Amino acid sequence: MSILRAEGISKRFGGLLALSDIDIRVEEGEFVALIGPNGAGKSTLLNVLTGLTPPTAGHIALDGRDITHASTHARVRAGLGRTFQRGRLFGRLSVIENVMTGVANRPGRSGRELRELARAQLARMGLERFAEHAIGSLSYGNSRMVELTRALACEPRVLLLDEPAAGLNSGEVEDLMTRLRAISTERRLAIVLIEHNMGMVMRLAQRIVVLNFGSRIAEGTPAAVQADPAVLAAYLGEGFSHAGL
Amino acid sequence: MADFIQLLMNGLALGSVYALAAIGFVIVYSATGVVNFAAGQFVMLGTFAGVATLVNGGWSLPAGYLGALAAMALFGALFYAVVYLPLRNSPAVTMIIGTVAIGITLQNAALLGFGSWPFRLVSPFEGMTVDIAGAVVPVHAIAVVVTTAVLIGLLWLLFNRTTLGIAMRAVAQDLVAARLMGLKVGALLAFTWILAAVLAGVAGLMLGPMWFADVNMGDPIALKAFAATIIGGFGSLPGAIAGGLFVGLTEVLGAAYVSSAYKDLIAFGAMILFLLLRPQGVFGERIQDRG
Repeated sequence: MSILRAEGISKRFGGLLALSDIDIRVEEGEFVALIGPNGAGKSTLLNVLTGLTPPTAGHIALDGRDITHASTHARVRAGLGRTFQRGRLFGRLSVIENVMTGVANRPGRSGRELRELARAQLARMGLERFAEHAIGSLSYGNSRMVELTRALACEPRVLLLDEPAAGLNSGEVEDLMTRLRAISTERRLAIVLIEHNMGMVMRLAQRIVVLNFGSRIAEGTPAAVQADPAVLAAYLGEGFSHAGL
Repeated sequence: MADFIQLLMNGLALGSVYALAAIGFVIVYSATGVVNFAAGQFVMLGTFAGVATLVNGGWSLPAGYLGALAAMALFGALFYAVVYLPLRNSPAVTMIIGTVAIGITLQNAALLGFGSWPFRLVSPFEGMTVDIAGAVVPVHAIAVVVTTAVLIGLLWLLFNRTTLGIAMRAVAQDLVAARLMGLKVGALLAFTWILAAVLAGVAGLMLGPMWFADVNMGDPIALKAFAATIIGGFGSLPGAIAGGLFVGLTEVLGAAYVSSAYKDLIAFGAMILFLLLRPQGVFGERIQDRG
């Protein structure tokens, strides 16, 4: 059974159909990439999946349970996690306090235990030495890693990542890829990745879903999607459809 | 010197009350973005909750205080549900008008319920004084300062040492990111309003014996608390404390050493100077830090 399944998702903003009848499913532990040109509806789809934007039509199920009308915090508690395209750390909280917000909803634990839990999460990502630092003092690359740690602290079963590599240098991208692969395997965590870095997408994803103008135009293995004429047309225009990307 | 010590303690006590009112105002503003124009009436309501339980109800002191604070907590929850929730997505001005409307309603409800004749709320330390270097200082004033200091310490622990407080600070900064951490944003915002109302309740109960309990007492408190937050720094907790103490001290010392007619001139004059020269206040952040 798919861990996350969305069927017939449409989202209309006034006259604009941002998402049109999208079906997407993610299996447990699977690595899925969501790609498409700017404005294709990728971030809108993440907003609908996380409950920040209600869909105009369609159903979403997490682990077989319908969550179409569930609140965002209920979805997160049920196992859905997300990071943002432009980092959204709490700037006036320290690094460890940011991670603590992710473990805050564990029942029956004292503040001290939760702090230790957050510290362990940071240690797992090699970020323990930054625990008491202010967010503003982190390098850009480290602040992205803290955001990832914070999202993982909620113990998601599906993690939606919105352009995690944006703005990272090539060394940091390599490091991120290694970590994501390890996290996905170790925790049996399904990852949905929005990313413009095609090299990263092709190396990480087991399956790629391509959106354009709010519609799903292709889906398949990296090799199949790369060869798909509709995808080439979407990225390069009709004239280049046989250019052999 | 003896006079000065006496005035200093009275000023600190009054300043503590202003500081608590300002803290409630700041907590609500940072968490919800709401400029609560009913903040002064919250304090008035706290005083009259004490009048209802202690004077009219004749309850014992502990029961009366607890009852009054429980009523204030309930009022905070009610305010969240009736005013904040329906208006939370409205423009800021609509929300401000909403709080003004509730303020006027509260004031007139108090007038209907308690009448225009002022009440005297008795202090647990009624008539008790201590001698400090020759100055006769009311024990109530010392108790007010100590209570406020303890509350500020507890608030610091809440916001820095407990997950509840850290979650509240997270909600104050970014509602969407807080939701995505699985935080129950609605409950945390409700708790913020409850906390602000209870702090105002404590301020009201402590102020009752210092002033007369008068249904019109809310407006001057609101103005002083507002001046305190501007001087200290809008949205800053240390600023609310420092600003509150400054306003209380200038009010009492100004009345004694300058002129009781011009006692408010100093605090409000300082507020105007701050607005002109340092609008972010003593502890204020630059506006672009909020986002």
